[in-house]
Amino acid sequence: MQTFRKLSANLHLYMAVPAILLFGVFFIYPLTRGIGISLTDSNGITAPHFIGIRNFIDFFHDDRARTDVRNTILFALGSAPLLNMFGLLYALLLDRKMAGKGIVRTIVYLPAVISPLIMGYIWYFILQPERGYISHVLQQVGLESWDVNWLGVSSSALVVLILVNVWQYVGMTMIIFLAGLQSIPAELYEAARIDGAGDRSSLWHITLPLLYPAIKINVVTNIIGSLSVFDIIVSLTDGGPGYATESLSIYILRMLYGNSTGYSTAVALIMFIIIIIPVFVFLKLTRKREYEL
Amino acid sequence: MVHKKLSLLLCSMLIVGGLAGCGKNNNERADAPSDSGSASTSSTNSNAASDSSSNDSSSSSNEDSPASQEKVTLKFFTGKVETVDLINSFIQQFEAENPNIHVEQEYQKDASSVIKVKFASGDVPDITTVVAQDYIDQGKYLDLSNESFWSRILPAIKDLCTDIKTGKQFKVATNVTMAGIFYNKKIFSELGLKEASTWTEFQGNLQTIHDKKPDVVPMFLAGKDSWTLGHLIEFMAHGVVKQQLGVTEARKAFINNDSGKLKFDAPGSGIDLLAGHLLDLKKAGLINKDALTATYDNQKEAFTSGKSALFTQGMWVLGDLLKLNPDMAGDIGFSPFPALADNLKPVTLSAEDSVYAITSESKHPEEAKKFLDFLFKPENLKAYSEFLKQPSAFTDVNADWGPLKDQASAALAAGVNIAFTDSPAGFSGDDAGRMMQELLAGKYKTSQDFAKAYTEAWNKGWGTTK
Repeated sequence: MQTFRKLSANLHLYMAVPAILLFGVFFIYPLTRGIGISLTDSNGITAPHFIGIRNFIDFFHDDRARTDVRNTILFALGSAPLLNMFGLLYALLLDRKMAGKGIVRTIVYLPAVISPLIMGYIWYFILQPERGYISHVLQQVGLESWDVNWLGVSSSALVVLILVNVWQYVGMTMIIFLAGLQSIPAELYEAARIDGAGDRSSLWHITLPLLYPAIKINVVTNIIGSLSVFDIIVSLTDGGPGYATESLSIYILRMLYGNSTGYSTAVALIMFIIIIIPVFVFLKLTRKREYEL
Repeated sequence: MVHKKLSLLLCSMLIVGGLAGCGKNNNERADAPSDSGSASTSSTNSNAASDSSSNDSSSSSNEDSPASQEKVTLKFFTGKVETVDLINSFIQQFEAENPNIHVEQEYQKDASSVIKVKFASGDVPDITTVVAQDYIDQGKYLDLSNESFWSRILPAIKDLCTDIKTGKQFKVATNVTMAGIFYNKKIFSELGLKEASTWTEFQGNLQTIHDKKPDVVPMFLAGKDSWTLGHLIEFMAHGVVKQQLGVTEARKAFINNDSGKLKFDAPGSGIDLLAGHLLDLKKAGLINKDALTATYDNQKEAFTSGKSALFTQGMWVLGDLLKLNPDMAGDIGFSPFPALADNLKPVTLSAEDSVYAITSESKHPEEAKKFLDFLFKPENLKAYSEFLKQPSAFTDVNADWGPLKDQASAALAAGVNIAFTDSPAGFSGDDAGRMMQELLAGKYKTSQDFAKAYTEAWNKGWGTTK
């Protein structure tokens, strides 16, 4: 009886065991094993040798890795703010009473359910110079000179990637904002209106502060998603021209298959840190703000 | 108490994971060469690897003999999508003749990467079409040197199947592939052009096409598929080293990364010349405007629709060209790659194709050899060659493999015959192609800058122990 009572008292902890085991098997174990491999010269086939932090030192002397870090950060700096800005804008517009808003929401959200790999190929066929759909239209209306190879120039290729990524995932961001907006009580707006507050004032003093949880989720997921971008780049530019749009995720894969398992694991851990820092900073800042609220 | 237990569990996982990561894999072969992570393994190691592979084969053969009466399953791993159906039909015939052997074919698009995962995970196929020097060095393949089929194979192809470091054959090729310039004979004859043997003639031909047929792209590059640009380096730029040293010595120079012989960054080297010529073609508008983003499919479509006059490819493209436009069969011309400088000669790739190897970890090497012997029956090889539209490497096979048969023979006679390059795993043909993309995108101011960057990347690739 006493054992039963003891078990009942700690039941919630025992119920956490399956989740912790799964977390351990699929996260803690791979992570720690990854740390171990990153300290070796493993090529994935023969016996590895311990080399300390040489892989990590090599990373900072690797021009291609530096280019990829820059590309990844630029992609995130472009994607994450635009996703949140347009996601919020769509949510605010589509939260109002208007005809056909369900259809518009579906249309905005639709790209998010398509595989990013396929999305990349679709946009490739649209943007390809001389053979793409845009090019075809320009040729039909006699504007061949406007047919630019956006994907063949380093700077514009990265911009195209950011825009396609934003176009694909803005619907997902919008849905989270919409859920947040619908959880704000209508009485607050009515009270504010009675007190003489206008639309702009309500937005700043009611909507945005109460949307903080949704903003937090969106910013964090968009930072993580943008910094670990892979599929859309593979299908749209394959990291090219050259390595101009190669992201860290792609670099990791290519190094792995280039018999540099230890090194690619070290880069993966560095990428983990690159992702965790902005997420951690943002969560720290917003927690303080939440307390203030 | 429970908290403590959970903490203990997580800590144990952390420690076990960390130790496992640093530790030696028990599944690894105990006699694997200690430094074979590097592609530039010493010959001593590779000897050890190959010896051990022989031992393995004999022991697994002995272990297997009592069970030879039981039904065995052979795993056949391939990266050649075009032959999957044909091989399946061969498998059906083989199984009918050998009811005790079942063959399972597995195709993977990225076979050269997947095989690595298979070796690492222990899910090793018995027969594979993927053979790489790194794996030869690590003793992953069975020594086939004493098999009877070698007497039927062209000596040049046997040489290309011979491991430079050990002198043994760990792979066997059934076909010969070629690469060179594919051109539209109709356009050439209309404009009075002849096959070019020098770069001056080649660029002159392109300029004539550009001037006289402004709607036709003189030379089409499929830059998005970086391997196609990598082939320009492998065949044209490396072709300089290959023709100067000869097939065997060039292979040794590549595998041993003998910089004294390769001289990639020397002014006037193959890399320097090719880079300079390509920049000239781009400047003169003699290549397609979307050279960086066009695909291999675009390249084939442009050629078969008459929108481009020539492109560089291997004979493997022929089947697709004929599928896209069967009426074009008589209009497809094939010639050697032009010489990059006046003191050089044109080159034609003539190398092994459709290679097979038996893995040293195979538990059924005798059955695997039996299956290869079945594939190597003259009637099967004839069907294979005619299907693939490539000549057979077996002297007792007389296949009518395609409309370019005579032209291919002429190209082989006109150009110095070269082989594929033994590239390091850390710097593949794709990587070389990506550097060519950078060149065409304007990253390098001069061809010499490109040659220096290429040399650095190549050396780093061979030195990859990371």
